[in-house]
Amino acid sequence: MPRGEFLLEVRCEEIPARMVRRATQDLGSRIFQELLNRKLTPREIETGFTPRRLAVALKGIPGREQDRTEEIVGPPASIAFDDHGKPTKAGEGFARRCGIEARDLERVKTPKGEYAAAVVTTEGRPTLEVLSELAPKAIAELNWAKVMTWGRGVGPWARPVHGIVAVFEGEIVPFELFGIQSGATTCGHPVLSPKAFQVAGFASYRKKLGKLGIEVNFEERLSKLEVGLSDAAAELGGIVVDDQPLLERLTAMCGTPGVVVGKIDEKHLELPREVLIASLRDHQSAFTVEREGELLPAFLTLMDRADDPEGFVRRGNEWVVEARLEDAAFFFGEDRKKTLAEHAAGLGRLSFHEKLGSYADKTERIVELCKFICRLLDWDDEAQTAAEVARLMKGDLVSEMVREFTSLQGIMGGVYARAEGLDEEVWRSIYEQYMPQGTADSIASTRVGRVVGLADRIDSVVGVLGIGLTPSGSKDPFGVRRAAQGVVRIALEGEMELDLDLVAARAYKQYGDRLEESAEEVLAIWRPFLFDRIRHILGLEDFSYDEIEAALEVGATNLPDLRARVAAIHTVRDEPGFRSVVLAAKRIANILKGVPEQELRADLLSEPAEKLLYQSYQKLRDEIKKAEHEKRYEECLRTMTSFADVLDHFFVEVLVMDENPDVRNNRVALLQAIQRSLSRTAGLTAVVVERADATEGKQGNG
Amino acid sequence: MHSFQDLILTLSQYWTAQGCVLQQPYDLEVGAGTMHPETFLRVLGPEPWNVVYVQPSRRPADARYGENPFRLGKHYQLQVLLKPSPAGVQALYVQSLEAMGIDLSLHDLRFEEDNWEAPTLGAWGVGWQVMLDGMEITQFTYFQQAGGLALDPVSAEITYGLERITMFLGRKRSLYEIDWVPGGVTYGQVRHQDEVEFSRYYFELADVEFLRTQFDGNEREAVRCLEAELALPAYECALKCSHLFNVLDARGAVSVTERVGLIKRVRRLSVACAKVYVARREQLGYPLLAAKPGEPGHLAEPSRPGEETT
Repeated sequence: MPRGEFLLEVRCEEIPARMVRRATQDLGSRIFQELLNRKLTPREIETGFTPRRLAVALKGIPGREQDRTEEIVGPPASIAFDDHGKPTKAGEGFARRCGIEARDLERVKTPKGEYAAAVVTTEGRPTLEVLSELAPKAIAELNWAKVMTWGRGVGPWARPVHGIVAVFEGEIVPFELFGIQSGATTCGHPVLSPKAFQVAGFASYRKKLGKLGIEVNFEERLSKLEVGLSDAAAELGGIVVDDQPLLERLTAMCGTPGVVVGKIDEKHLELPREVLIASLRDHQSAFTVEREGELLPAFLTLMDRADDPEGFVRRGNEWVVEARLEDAAFFFGEDRKKTLAEHAAGLGRLSFHEKLGSYADKTERIVELCKFICRLLDWDDEAQTAAEVARLMKGDLVSEMVREFTSLQGIMGGVYARAEGLDEEVWRSIYEQYMPQGTADSIASTRVGRVVGLADRIDSVVGVLGIGLTPSGSKDPFGVRRAAQGVVRIALEGEMELDLDLVAARAYKQYGDRLEESAEEVLAIWRPFLFDRIRHILGLEDFSYDEIEAALEVGATNLPDLRARVAAIHTVRDEPGFRSVVLAAKRIANILKGVPEQELRADLLSEPAEKLLYQSYQKLRDEIKKAEHEKRYEECLRTMTSFADVLDHFFVEVLVMDENPDVRNNRVALLQAIQRSLSRTAGLTAVVVERADATEGKQGNG
Repeated sequence: MHSFQDLILTLSQYWTAQGCVLQQPYDLEVGAGTMHPETFLRVLGPEPWNVVYVQPSRRPADARYGENPFRLGKHYQLQVLLKPSPAGVQALYVQSLEAMGIDLSLHDLRFEEDNWEAPTLGAWGVGWQVMLDGMEITQFTYFQQAGGLALDPVSAEITYGLERITMFLGRKRSLYEIDWVPGGVTYGQVRHQDEVEFSRYYFELADVEFLRTQFDGNEREAVRCLEAELALPAYECALKCSHLFNVLDARGAVSVTERVGLIKRVRRLSVACAKVYVARREQLGYPLLAAKPGEPGHLAEPSRPGEETT
């Protein structure tokens, strides 16, 4: 019966693996937060789960809330008390409302005069009582990806709830939720160890479950399984083909996990490696085993029990795997009866989206967009191959294999193209069209692969946004964000020097009258997604926030160019004088805020400082223009830096806001011209610098 | 017990012993046991209902000329519907496996997330595919919506894939090798010709124009029935449309845009049928509300293992 410990367990039907881990953490932190809000801060928190139970233990919680004393100021003393200092009717009423005796009323002095006051002490409640309120609320209010109701409209929750353990310092925390009374009784596996037993605290809870072979700690289970799997693979003479997401999913799915080792018929090793892995992973949640890069005729998977005394589990899995691989071999044979081009000819029957047409329509658009992209890039050598790849790349979507294993889309097309004997550049570009899949994945290895990948994604994004399916919050069913991520990485890492706005505009045009939103609207929705990914990806490269913002202000959607600008700011910002020119640029921006364009007339310049500024400006303008044109951005910024002294001198000597409107407007015009030149490479005003003349050096990481 | 008919007998017996009404297959072509009015319409409204039946289910696109050992154009589902879903429904299901002779202390039984959605029925549910030693043997769904209507009470639907289970328990290499009768005729002997002929019909012979005319005609008829507030006849017409659509689709006669349109038309019909049915049951005063626990169709609350005490 551990002091200060609260154990909460919710037992239920199998919660989906994708939800259960986060939900358990969520449950723990909700209760922790609620306790914290009441100054009942736990010292420690532990969570655990299996598919059928969420467990949270909070330790070191004080036994009761602290008492609270507060002073409530009431009516003025002259109203609350009579001439003899006795409470009046008004005073009594106030005391009653505060729950104290009228004779206990006090007098307090305030700036407005003397007032009656009540000092009220609220006794802190026992923690047990507090928990019995907040625990059911925390359980009921968990955020789930999907909820359901059951029975006579009970819920909503992820799955039906069957039992709740709620024990504080060994004592039941009483509450009712979903028609279930909390208690101190739990049980093991519903089939293998269903007998109910009592628990007093987390230690005994884990111990008793442990005896039944149930490990509630996820990390503990995961590491045991990793060892179990690699031991099993070693016994087969190989290593496990790494698949962390699968391992985590299986670990979340089994409370009593054991490793199953199964055999595969040798003849199936003739199937492409990708097919074997996908078939085993997607259909059987099984790992493959390899030695020196070659798959072995075996698989590993998990069962929700420690052992397999009769070999039923192994034989069952083997039987299913055999059936699946037979199926896969059949699909492979069927698909190979047609060329990829013949498959692609059937894309008219596959809908991309109701409003956006079929995949045949999409294919046509990608072909044209690829040509356009290659033209923008001057990649003449790639243009023809890219168009050829684009015509074939979606063909596998109507193959039997991809209909069965959607995870093989692209890959399968590549495999078939390779088997047909098409050029490596072609099959590889098809194979890698969906790369990068995640942050750890690299982009396609060929230029052609990058072109088609970019065209495909931009076509999808423009189409999806064009029919108003903008992602909101965590909802992004059409993967706009992921596509944006892909576009940014392909363009940046593939060094594709092109204006993505132009590509998007072209993609828009190709849809004809299918889209509902205007081109401007689509671009306006698209850019923030793009910029958001750019910020993230460049942020990972150690550029600071303000450097990226400054470059983005130029509005460049040519990403390698954008990156070069960011890198230039990153390099130059520490150099002497850069800070001054940034400050000057900010000063100019302040002066010019809301001022209309003025015309510059050199003949109106009178003061020596402004004449000097004008001359320097002309030189600055030409030099920046030239360096910009040659994309020498560091030089641009250095040129600007060298301009800082003249500007400072001007501001010391000359008053811009002269009384004579002509003189004033002309000075404004000069500053406007200078502002245009200073803004060419990056939005200098977005760079964070310290205003005071402190030490020169890199400052402000936004 | 590894024969097809024993499985049907055992499961029917088990579930009737639990208080389910033993129904028979719906006498129309349907794609799944869910489409039987005993499920699709009974899940609507407040009336309790517990039923078990076998439903031959047609999936024309899955037909394979009797050549693929794992796929059929028509397969048999054993469907159980429990409304409202009893607290111990999972335990009841587990016991049904034991009734089939599976000693679960020696097997691996898992419930993996698998949510169900039927666009043509305006229906969806939450649940699992049940895996026995790595083989999917059952679909288990808590119905959340049908005919576009939110459901309260919620029904639990348990769908056993009979061929798969028999094949798996008998470790057969092909569906056609399973025993229909213990040690007697095989599934192939009973059904192979059916698969071959219907494959030819679905893929080669079906007259597209005739099917389209039928679709349109049945749709019109459904609308007329709905106007007369005849929910069940209207629903039959909707089911016919649904099957005709499946045949047209397998025949390769449905274009992308048309596909969406046809699905919408069927869905509109089923949603309308659901509405009329609900209204009609209300007019009738929900006759099944009066049925008493213990009478056929009512389930005694089972005890779930591990939950006998608190």
